[in-house]
Amino acid sequence: MNVGVRFESVGVRLGGRPVVQDASFEIRPGERTAFLGPNGGGKTTLMRVLLGLLRPDAGRVVFLDDGREIPRPRVGYLSQRSTLHADAPLSGVDLVALTLAPAAGFRGLGPARAEARVALSRAGLSADKQTLPVGRLSGGQRQRVLLARALAGSPPLLVLDEPDTALDAEGLATLRRLVAEEVAAGRTVVYVTHDSDAMGGADAVFSVDGRVSAGTPLHSHGTAS
Amino acid sequence: MTEFLGYPFFQRALLAGALAALLCGALSFFVVLRRLAFVGSGVAHAAFGGVALATLAGLPPGLGGLVASLAVAVATARASESADVTEDTAVGVFTVAAMAAGVVALGFVKTNVDLFGLMFGNILTVDPSDLLILAGATAGVLVALAFFFRPLLLASVDEEGARAAGVATGGMRLLVLALIAVAVVVALKVVGILLVSALLVLPGATARPLASRWPGFLTGSIVVALISVLGGLLLSVALDVAPGAAIILLGAALFVGALAAARARRA
Repeated sequence: MNVGVRFESVGVRLGGRPVVQDASFEIRPGERTAFLGPNGGGKTTLMRVLLGLLRPDAGRVVFLDDGREIPRPRVGYLSQRSTLHADAPLSGVDLVALTLAPAAGFRGLGPARAEARVALSRAGLSADKQTLPVGRLSGGQRQRVLLARALAGSPPLLVLDEPDTALDAEGLATLRRLVAEEVAAGRTVVYVTHDSDAMGGADAVFSVDGRVSAGTPLHSHGTAS
Repeated sequence: MTEFLGYPFFQRALLAGALAALLCGALSFFVVLRRLAFVGSGVAHAAFGGVALATLAGLPPGLGGLVASLAVAVATARASESADVTEDTAVGVFTVAAMAAGVVALGFVKTNVDLFGLMFGNILTVDPSDLLILAGATAGVLVALAFFFRPLLLASVDEEGARAAGVATGGMRLLVLALIAVAVVVALKVVGILLVSALLVLPGATARPLASRWPGFLTGSIVVALISVLGGLLLSVALDVAPGAAIILLGAALFVGALAAARARRA
């Protein structure tokens, strides 16, 4: 599945204030797309609309697979500020497995737990930490759990909201490597950042400040092509 | 005390207590996890208004209690989705309104409703039909919790993560509140309105500091509820005190003990 996303005249008001106006653009499948802009410019709001967490006041978001309109696919999401309770009685394996298999039913979590362990290892969390309650993990380790949750199950679309804010240097290097692997596997990666070089460059760049405008693609180290 | 164990009324009380403990112990896990202690208490108190209004209307009191509790549960869930009202504010308003309506209704009707029994329960007067209703409701609530366990657990610890994964988090909130409402009404006879709200909080609150992951937390909550109810019943006979009060006092003692044990373990 090669998923692209088209925003069609999307507008969002929060508390009566327009945050995003008339946003029309397309995220191409299999590419790394960056959203840059000042705080309060509407970057996270756009991501929340993309994820279905926020309903736009105007316009719509269309998901495309080989140009054909499809329902919203499974989206891997690493949020800027996780709402995961600090004292949640779950291990990393529990959290990732539940996210992979969140539907109601009487089935066990066995296969999802196995897949969760693979994702946690990919994200750089050692096996002995994977079964610890998330409250006993360091901030960096928790961020790896959240990263693993985003990557688990190879979702066709990956959304990373300011992924560089809570990761240490080693975590950031892991993330860049994983993003490169995801893009090489044909998945679509979208990220919001203040640092245009955070994910090692971007195939497409959009500038967001209330309105969305296309920018210049960036090679690694922030060099415009 | 052993001669009490031979009395059918006491055997029914023990069975009813065990069922109420299973019901409230399992729900207490979610009440504590979702920080719904005040909401659970509010839904329980709303039953008072429903019972009184149903008495005034000549309807079964239990039905009135269920409708009022469900109404407050739904209103709370809906109001908390609004940006203008928080969940605790919503339940505070709706609960006192339901109780006030109950007081007004009782003023209009010359009734022999046992208010003390309504507030504190009377587990020793449980009859076989009460047991059947309690057993059916307990089985239904436990099956619902088991079926929806995964989305409920995910939505309880990470609402936005759950929504991004496709979980209808608003529906999960409503489900928990509705199950609490059902538990409140069927457990009224056993422990009463005041004490059922405590039984929805104490077991989970006691298990929480002792368990770091959900399997221990959930099992602990049910075990603590069983110890509180069955131990409290036996204590009430041994000490000749009211069973409802003995149940809650034992539960409170276990809670204090769990906090001390958790603190000692960390030291």
